[in-house]
Amino acid sequence: MTVIVPLADVTLRGMLGRRRTILLVLLAGLPVLVALLIRVSGGRPDADRVLDTLVVRFVMALVALIVGTGVLGSEIEDGTAVYLIVKPIARWRIALAKAIVAAGLTAALIVPSVLLTGLLLGGRSDSMTITVAFAVACLVGGSAYAVAFMTLSVFTSRAFLLGLAYVLIWEGVLAGLLEGTKFLSIRQATLGVASALGADISGDPLAANVSVAVLAIVIVGGFLVASWRLARFEIRGGD
Amino acid sequence: MTAAPNLPPLPQAADAGLADAVPAMGTTPPAGATPALEVDHVSRWYGNVVAVNDISFALGAGVTGLLGPNGAGKSTLLHLMAGLLEPSAGRVLVEGGSAWRRPGMYRHIGLVPEREAVHAYLTGRQFATLNARLQGVGDPDAAAARAIATVDLTEAADRSIGTYSKGMRQRAKLAGALVHDPTVLLLDEPFNGMDPRQRLHMMALLRSMAAAGRTILFSSHILEEVERLADSVLVVYAGRLAAAGDFRSIRRLMTDRPHTFTVRSSDDRRLASALLADAAVFGAELVDGRVLIRTADYEAFTRALPRIARANAVSLFEMAPTDDSLESVFSYLVRR
Repeated sequence: MTVIVPLADVTLRGMLGRRRTILLVLLAGLPVLVALLIRVSGGRPDADRVLDTLVVRFVMALVALIVGTGVLGSEIEDGTAVYLIVKPIARWRIALAKAIVAAGLTAALIVPSVLLTGLLLGGRSDSMTITVAFAVACLVGGSAYAVAFMTLSVFTSRAFLLGLAYVLIWEGVLAGLLEGTKFLSIRQATLGVASALGADISGDPLAANVSVAVLAIVIVGGFLVASWRLARFEIRGGD
Repeated sequence: MTAAPNLPPLPQAADAGLADAVPAMGTTPPAGATPALEVDHVSRWYGNVVAVNDISFALGAGVTGLLGPNGAGKSTLLHLMAGLLEPSAGRVLVEGGSAWRRPGMYRHIGLVPEREAVHAYLTGRQFATLNARLQGVGDPDAAAARAIATVDLTEAADRSIGTYSKGMRQRAKLAGALVHDPTVLLLDEPFNGMDPRQRLHMMALLRSMAAAGRTILFSSHILEEVERLADSVLVVYAGRLAAAGDFRSIRRLMTDRPHTFTVRSSDDRRLASALLADAAVFGAELVDGRVLIRTADYEAFTRALPRIARANAVSLFEMAPTDDSLESVFSYLVRR
């Protein structure tokens, strides 16, 4: 495991460039800001609704998209991934280090955001249960998103656009219209976990066991597919 | 196609004089010994586009130049050797094992890619240390310090790479490739962006590494770079191996080919008739107010021209080769 640490270290340094860090912090801070505004304006505190509509449906997916496509895809695009590839390291270790950073950074941004938002909006007796439910769901769901987008970035230089299309078109529109496609949605699985842990989710959330299975398959499957692809990594460009 | 007198001759190729078997380059490995790097009938294509076409050679210790115009397939060939591309046909062996899908072979190889991008947020020292740690070197900090000193980057080692000049980035990349003391070093256009002093230092460094028994292959589209550094050369043109062997023999092929020049003078007609009497010239004609001269002996002609002009009281205003681009030289080699 000794190579995981330097791999994760250099990945994290690369991710925390000034502009990207500001963007990520602003995004993750958005729900907190909204919660503050609700409190200040004397609006009705409804943690379930804000955490469901704003965090899970929007902020978590976008943060995971930026992080997931950034940890490896941007290095492949700018050519610096070559310095990690031409080393006597099994490629699954590279995928593992990247996945750990992608999932960890997404969670580090989203979970505090959920907790702060939940605490600010807490008003009901079960507000702590709801907040913790969403925090746990976002920890797992954000990791699943991040690993899925990281895996996508190993296959295509258009991972960000494709990921955005998945979030906005597939999850935002189609998964709501076509009931049978819910289990192909990371968002629906995340809401399923939150619901199972006590959050009040509108509509008909996925069952807890199905949700956990979907997220586990995305995380483990994404990591395996990324490892497989990296083992066959071919450099782009050159004459 | 040619071969050095002290190297095994290239077998006659089946196709238009192209190297077809496995010529040994650099210092020929002893009989039965495994060459450090072996490219065996390797092709690589992208859809219908053939980037590398049935190339074979083997490399032992020494400096070999991979010469060819831009787009000839040099980078593709280097990427195949570095295990960064899968051969569509044939195989690449590094220290006897496949280069493709065998990460363990990177213990033997150091790669300096052409692309300038390096982790700009790391310092030169951090970059070298990262490479040493990923290589599993025993003392990464000491290995990084050694590599940085070797490439003469110690003074700037603690500045971030983002502040480096192009030449300094090249040296940082080389330091990263040297931390594990590889037996094979692959460098893609390593002199790009270097000033003359850095270039000389890098050349001396590569020569000393080759003298210590390493196999070094560097690509370049600049003939003079290869001439100054390489013991032997691989000439690639349009994805084919156009020539392989001792540099001097190939250089002779390049300069002894028929050359054409245009000359403008105070009396073109008199100059043309005087030149025709010279043994080095086999054709002279008046075209568009100039003399078009054909010669088979580049050096003899360039020496004779001023002498003949002076003897005939003709003033020379302009002399220009018509076909001296590297492209035409490579194209000529392929036709041979």
